[in-house]
Amino acid sequence: MEDLKQELKEKIIAALKLADMTPSDIDNEAPLFGDGLGLDSIDALELMLLLEKNYGIRLQNPAEGKKVFVNIDTMAAYVAENRTR
Amino acid sequence: MKYSSYVRMTPSRVVLNEKMLTFEDSGKNLLLEIYRKAVGDWPKFFKMDPLSKVGFVSTELLLSTESPRVKDCEDRAVILFNRSGSLADDRIYEGTIRSREEFYPSPAVFVYTLPNILTGEIAIRNKYYGETSFSVLEKFDASVMLRTLEAAFVDPMTRSAVFGWVECGSEEEFDVCLFLVHREGEGMKELDEKEFERIWKI
Repeated sequence: MEDLKQELKEKIIAALKLADMTPSDIDNEAPLFGDGLGLDSIDALELMLLLEKNYGIRLQNPAEGKKVFVNIDTMAAYVAENRTR
Repeated sequence: MKYSSYVRMTPSRVVLNEKMLTFEDSGKNLLLEIYRKAVGDWPKFFKMDPLSKVGFVSTELLLSTESPRVKDCEDRAVILFNRSGSLADDRIYEGTIRSREEFYPSPAVFVYTLPNILTGEIAIRNKYYGETSFSVLEKFDASVMLRTLEAAFVDPMTRSAVFGWVECGSEEEFDVCLFLVHREGEGMKELDEKEFERIWKI
């Protein structure tokens, strides 16, 4: 699971172009939106795309993303459970 | 129309008010170098499309000449032009949907597939609430651009504008000629067609 969390951080940094940021800057429990990484609604759509492109997970309902994208821990748990590749 | 500053920028050269600025890099890396040295506090830069990056850093240089840097301008417009619109980003977006097997349209790329997004980026960064427009012309045409600028100043609210040409084929190919223009200003130079073309040829 730790490897998956590290991989997710790397993919998030690349996909959201979080320049000057490294995986170690992202805390597993820190919120991705709001005060955490300060992501916006377009970033949320990019995260959905990231899941589909890399893990074959298609979120049917954007509201579902709210539960999945709370932090790295919730995201990794969801990916581990639902990935098709 | 008067102007207080201008910036002329190509992938290998930056001139700010007759003074050549020295940078080590060129093209895409020049944009990054300018951001690091002259801006540095606007991480959204990294998410911008090529046109917005070019327009953003050149505007930052242009506005760095204001002292103090103006904030919350109700009376400042952003009036820009180019030839290629948002083609640089359009191409990147097309790359995300080209293949049926790899069909992943990127929302972050898609949002930049309009050139007037750049005027919004500038207005948001500087808290400008005046008119913004981005027109696509067949070619650089000082006469048409100045007429458009004059039309913007028909509104008595408009007292100054970020104005000019921001062409961008890619992060490696761009050509900028921007002015900070004013309705009136003591000691400022007149911006007419001849002066615009003189600076364009620098």
